[in-house]
Amino acid sequence: MGISKIVMGLDDKPMWASIERGAMELQKCGECGEFRYPPAPVCPHDLSADATWTPVSDKGTILSWVIFHKQYFEDHVPPYNSVAIQLEEGPIVVSQLQGDEPEGSWIGQRVELIYAEHAGRTQHFARWLKPQAA
Amino acid sequence: MANNNLAKVAAVVGVGNTDYRGDWTRVRAGEKPRDSVGYAADAFKIALADSGLRKSDIDGLIVGPTTAYDRMGEVLGLDVKWGGQGDAMLSVIQAVMAINAGLCETVACVYGNNQRSAAVNYGGDNAVGGGNFLSYVYHAPWGFTSQGALYAMMFRRYMEESGLTSAELAEVSVAQRLHSSITPHALMQKRITVEDYLASNFVCEPLHLYDYCLVNDGGVAFIITTADRAKTMGGRAVPIHGVGRHDLNSGATSMIPRLTNFYLPAQQAVAAQVFDMAGVGPEDMDCLQIYDSFSCHIPLALEGYGYCKVGEAGKFMRETGISVEKGLPVNTAGGHLSESYMQGWAHQVEAVRQVRGECGARQVPDCNFAHYSSDVAGKAVSIIYGK
Repeated sequence: MGISKIVMGLDDKPMWASIERGAMELQKCGECGEFRYPPAPVCPHDLSADATWTPVSDKGTILSWVIFHKQYFEDHVPPYNSVAIQLEEGPIVVSQLQGDEPEGSWIGQRVELIYAEHAGRTQHFARWLKPQAA
Repeated sequence: MANNNLAKVAAVVGVGNTDYRGDWTRVRAGEKPRDSVGYAADAFKIALADSGLRKSDIDGLIVGPTTAYDRMGEVLGLDVKWGGQGDAMLSVIQAVMAINAGLCETVACVYGNNQRSAAVNYGGDNAVGGGNFLSYVYHAPWGFTSQGALYAMMFRRYMEESGLTSAELAEVSVAQRLHSSITPHALMQKRITVEDYLASNFVCEPLHLYDYCLVNDGGVAFIITTADRAKTMGGRAVPIHGVGRHDLNSGATSMIPRLTNFYLPAQQAVAAQVFDMAGVGPEDMDCLQIYDSFSCHIPLALEGYGYCKVGEAGKFMRETGISVEKGLPVNTAGGHLSESYMQGWAHQVEAVRQVRGECGARQVPDCNFAHYSSDVAGKAVSIIYGK
């Protein structure tokens, strides 16, 4: 069993550099304005290579979640969760919810990305934004 | 517009598989009976004998993704007019296309896999498949790894939306264990109950151990020839009535189609294509063979191909049933969960054997049509075998 690794393609490098600085940037298409994830050489809608690395809001909504009960990596000891988050800008990213967890379904809960050290690198995690009491 | 160009231009005339249980027993005892090429060669010999053809009749060769085409052809001593590599479903479709184009007449499709004895990993830092499917490895920094976890993420959302319960999902594992328990070559010979399922460990919640496929060694082969030649070979040929494919590649790594529509549009598009080509509908199918690396493929396919209404697969599985004892039989030899994990190859063989009527205790009565489907990572493929 090994340590989990980043897939570092050519287009991933600027994103991970921004994560290292604690503020994730994704490519925003210069043609249609859409954000794309994972980073890619062209926009999948209009094939434009014109893009600007743009900070995201770090806020999003949980689309789904799982709990791992089997260990696959030295640095992720079960039970632990993975969450699929749709960012306000549109892209879906996978992260891990830390701290308080919603009771019942996690779907639709609002979260915020935070940045922390893990296995010798900086990466994002997610923190639940509890609904304000009415 | 109807497209029946490929309907009944080719037929399966020979099928073969290795002794999965024997291989399983030997591998678990620490032996390495065969490498992948060896398993494929064993299966090819059986399929060739089953067809009654001679090796010199084979003029096309399509090899599964786990063996190298060049070495496979060398080991089998096959010099051919058409060759290629493909997964189970594409090997069938490519064979039909090559035959239809007149490039060759009789194609051997062969597959061998030593994944158990070679200790292949489907998750973790050396997970296989990442070169072909970025989603299998891209989210590893967050511990999100293994194809099972991808389907767990997908199916959690489906369960929350549809209300399908774990006990309803258990119907898949329970039915397929029933089937494998009456299939002599299947690995899992003992039935399980819904209670056994619910008491089993989670691997990646909401999926339990029984939702996951086996990982075992083995080989499968089949031989496909022209419809005209098949007619001269006695009554055991099984024509291919329809084939279809529709892929959702957009947003594959970020799981957009997985999480927002459960690949439903891909399956619906293929359903229209394949049923139209074959001139039949879901009501004409006597059994289904569904690619089941995980149990949750089954409810999604039942909805995608129109066997039940969207959102009602849980109720369908519980009330109508999906076994040879009750309802619409699915994965009649046990599938990947309980027969053998041959990555869709054994499903083709089982479909052919059901239409031939040679399945013994698990035989579906009067089986005129068997429908195969898969939706691996959003690539939906469908094949209809029939009399």
